Amino acid sequence: MRDAARDPAALELLRVQRSRLADRMRWPWWYQSGLAIFWALAFACPFLPHGPHGIRIWPILLAALAVACLMQWGLARATGIKMTAPTLLYPASGRPVRIAMSVGALAALGTEFFLIRHGLTAAAIVVAALAVVAEMAGQQAQLRAIRQDLRGGGGTA
Amino acid sequence: MTARPDPLIHPITRLSICGLLAAGADWVEFAALRDAAGISDSVLSKQSRVLEDAGYVEVRKGAVGRRPRTWFRLTAAGRQAVQSHLAWLAQLEEAFSASTPDARQARPLPGDRDQPRRVPPPLLGST
Repeated sequence: MRDAARDPAALELLRVQRSRLADRMRWPWWYQSGLAIFWALAFACPFLPHGPHGIRIWPILLAALAVACLMQWGLARATGIKMTAPTLLYPASGRPVRIAMSVGALAALGTEFFLIRHGLTAAAIVVAALAVVAEMAGQQAQLRAIRQDLRGGGGTA
Repeated sequence: MTARPDPLIHPITRLSICGLLAAGADWVEFAALRDAAGISDSVLSKQSRVLEDAGYVEVRKGAVGRRPRTWFRLTAAGRQAVQSHLAWLAQLEEAFSASTPDARQARPLPGDRDQPRRVPPPLLGST
């Protein structure tokens, strides 16, 4: 068996291997589509109580969360890598994006409620569509941050 | 964190396995680990068992349909050992590159010849 200390490129080899592992972290088409549907459902919530049947928000949000969990499970199976659930703290390099995404989502939902209450439904739809696009861009940035974290060794050398 | 060599993860195959598991993922599947490390199934099985016996790696076995699926992750003890071993390796690398003439970017500075030569830290077991 090769000995790391006799091989000056041991750390370099590890960097290459981590890079290979990070390259596996790609989103399949169904995951991206699922994410888009998840965000579309989330930003459609303000419209639901104003619809013809006054649909309740919570069952739809719960269904969206269940789908999100299923998607995470499917992604782990597809990539062979189970990541820690992204939080405001993880991955560290994607923290600003994550905070911006959370603030943006809350702001978009608030704006939608405000616009709908004032009868500006078309403007609210535009805000919702823009918010979905922004969240998807944020998710891509998160993926890049996760890949960068895997390449960098997640805090280890 | 102390930079300390660990004889168990010193061989490069085990270092690869541990280094990949310490990269930030929670669990890594057998095939993903094998492909990233560039080793064979049997080598990964053998070395992961050594790491599991030492309490460095946790193994979870399952199956999807008829296909077996094995997942690995580092334990807290394993993570600590890998981090200190990698820190030690980084120190070693730094010391080697500092003592190599190429790393000094060709021309030595005036008075360089008078400076004492940097000696890399001792290897395993030679404390």
